This record gives sequence, structure tokens and C-alpha cells, in this order.
Amino acid sequence: MKISIDLTVNGERHQVDTTPWITLLELLRETLHLTGTKEGCGLGECGSCIVLVDGRPVNSCLMLAVDARGRQITTIEGLVSNGDLHPLQQSFIEKGAVQCGFCTPAMILSAKALLDENPDAGEEEIKQTLSGIICRCGNYKKIIEAVRTASDGKADS
Amino acid sequence: MNRLKPFAYFEPTTLPEAIEILAAKKGAAFPLAGGTDLLVRMKRGVIKPSTIVNLKRIEGLDQIKKEPGRGVRIGALATFSAIEDSHLLRLSHPVIAQAVSVLACPSIRNLATMGGNIGRASPASDAAPFLMILGATVSLKGPQGERELGMGEIFSGPGTTASRPAEAITSLLLPDMASHSGAAYLKIGRREGMDCALAGVAALVTFSGGKREAEDTKIALSAVAPVPMRAKKAEKTILSGRLTEKCIREAAKVASEEISPVSDMRASASYRREVVRVLTYRALMTALQQAREG
Repeated sequence: MKISIDLTVNGERHQVDTTPWITLLELLRETLHLTGTKEGCGLGECGSCIVLVDGRPVNSCLMLAVDARGRQITTIEGLVSNGDLHPLQQSFIEKGAVQCGFCTPAMILSAKALLDENPDAGEEEIKQTLSGIICRCGNYKKIIEAVRTASDGKADS
Repeated sequence: MNRLKPFAYFEPTTLPEAIEILAAKKGAAFPLAGGTDLLVRMKRGVIKPSTIVNLKRIEGLDQIKKEPGRGVRIGALATFSAIEDSHLLRLSHPVIAQAVSVLACPSIRNLATMGGNIGRASPASDAAPFLMILGATVSLKGPQGERELGMGEIFSGPGTTASRPAEAITSLLLPDMASHSGAAYLKIGRREGMDCALAGVAALVTFSGGKREAEDTKIALSAVAPVPMRAKKAEKTILSGRLTEKCIREAAKVASEEISPVSDMRASASYRREVVRVLTYRALMTALQQAREG
């Protein structure tokens, strides 16, 4: 059972043939070859597969690709513009917030969604926003620090 | 890759069309709302639906709107994020945004729906307790037409609802809150983010005009019985006396005694009783404080 869908990924329109049982995660990795998005548990518990759909974080392992029809998807590959890293990517590097890197795309995309909506987000909001993503390296402290550096951080001062 | 097994797929654009497909497939078809539970159980092999009926293309099923003279109606497909962000609900039922903020995590709330949560009938639902204290009714539509069930009637057991074959949950109606009312939902999990409640408590207090006696109180609990339940004995304790701290302490104890918790990997039954006592006390005190200010 083939279904043809239209979706926009990182600003680029795609028309792809898929089947109803393919998740957005599988479509991104295996059809569009955007392997920056990771599968951890595949069951919505670890958050590694988070991408932005119309600007909001969702677990792509729990979304059917057919439900991405007509939507704007942002993956970690879409954050670089004209070869320049996104400020969050820059601060993750500077603060040492990346260890094994597996949860990093989800952390950065979730943080981006938060800061796009609230550039002054403070520590509590950052923690809430990232609460669904597990970092098995246990690097939470530096991850939160990196997001705070990228935010104006006025809410805390 | 954790994959789904193939299934037949339908994407109806109207509710009658969806019900027709569900009826024709006789129990082999599952309706898909947010997918945060259904797809997980499919991947785990707990359920093996041969047909999926995706409800997301049915227009209007995700609306949150005022129903003049009755309350606020939440469409079954409204996501918890939409509910949490709803200006209308923040004004009419502030307890909802507070309760929803501890349900799973933001990325799950962007997918998960109110109707899906009720349809799943989890004993540990974070939504059922606040719906119960607010006196919500659930609207269902099936081959025999439409009907409404109270929150006290909708769950028939762990994971099962009183819905009939091919019946779909279409919306929930929340009656307006009385003035001088306050409500709170508190839960404890093993960790703060993204965990099932090992016990959850919602409490509502409505003062009479003199602000001494409670005109109404409702207490609802999750994860401490086969289905989310009202703590009716504890409610009686509150309604039979003056609304004092001592009375609330007593009601919290009564609540911890009228539950039937299990011991499982999350917590022991005796710990759950203790948690219910503490959370009921705190939820009632918070509700009381709000009712005084309201």
C-alpha cells in the first residue's frame, strides 16, 4: 500500500512514496538519508528521535510519516545556515555539552523550539523542556549550561 | 530499528465514515489519535491490529470551545499541548494546565490527545483524576448514535472502557467551575520528568458563601486501584465537618484507607498508601487556598 506524501524538510519540499506503517523517523533516516536524527528506544521514552514539526518538538518514532504530510519538519541538519553553525550548536561545542553525541540533536532541537518562543528562558524552563530526553552520558549539567548561554537568560537574573 | 508491522490503513475525513470502517472491521481495527500509546503497544507486539483508522483528518475533532451555559468542550483529538496552552481553559479551569504540565514531557504532549488518554483507560492516567473532580462527561459516537458517559462510568477495568464496538470518543464536556472553587493535581513518580504516576491525586474544594464549610469537594486518585477512582469516603469526611486543617488531615487518612493499591515495579502497596495520604493532604490544602482567594 503506497501513499505519496508532500512534506517540507529543512526548507526543502519533498514528494516521497511511503507506506502507512513507516514512521517519520524511518522516512527521515532511510528515505531522505538524514541520519542526524537518532533512534534510541523507538518507543517514545528516550527522546533521541525528537525533530521539530511546525516548530514544535515531537518524537518522530511515534509519528507516522503520513501524518507529516503538508508539515514543516526541521532536523539537526537544517540548523546550519550558509555554513555557519546555529548559536546553540556553537554553545554546545564551547561548553562541552556533547559527549557521545547521541542525544545532542534532540537536545539542540528542543532547546531551539524553546528559545524561538521564549528567548529569555531560564533554567527551570530549560529543564522542563529537556525533561523527555535521556542523556546516557549524564551530561545534563553542561547541556543546560549550553542552552543557558545561548538564551539571554534574563529570566534567572 | 523498532518497526511497525504492516496494516491496512484508512484515513476517513468524517466521523460517520470512521465509524463505518470500525464497524465493518469488527474489533480488528484500532482508531489512531496521537499514537503515543497505540504505536508503542504495536511495536512491542502487545496488540496486532490488522487495520488502523487514522482519525486526524476528521475536521473539527481537535477543537476546544466554549459551550455557552454548559462549559467547555474539548475535542477528542485535541493534543495535551493545545490543552495546556488554551487561553480559554486557563481561565475557566486553571487546574488543567497545572495537571497537564506534569503529564509525560513536552514532545509527547505535542502528539498525545485527550481522547486517546481516556480511550487507553490506563489506571495511572494523569488526565482522569482532574476530569473526575471537574465532573467531565465523555461523548461517544457509534453505529447506534451518540451518547454521554460520566467519568465514573467510562472505565470498566485496567485498559478497557465502557465503549461499545465501533464507538469512538468524540469529545469531553467540562462544566464551568463554581465560584469560590479551587483545584489541584499532584503526582509522584520515581523521577520528576516523563514518568508514570505511582500515585496521582486531584482535589477540588468549593466553599459555601460564608467560606467556612465546604459546599462541595471531590477527590480523585490514579494508579492506586484497577481504574482511576473517586475517594468518596474522604469526600464525606470533608463535607461532614468544618473545613479545617485537622479535617483535611483526617480526610487524607481516609483516602489512603479506601484505595486498593498493588505492589509492582514502581512501588509497594504500602508506600502507595502513604503517598496517597500525603498527596491528598497537599492537594486539598492547595485547593483550599485557591478557593479562599477565588
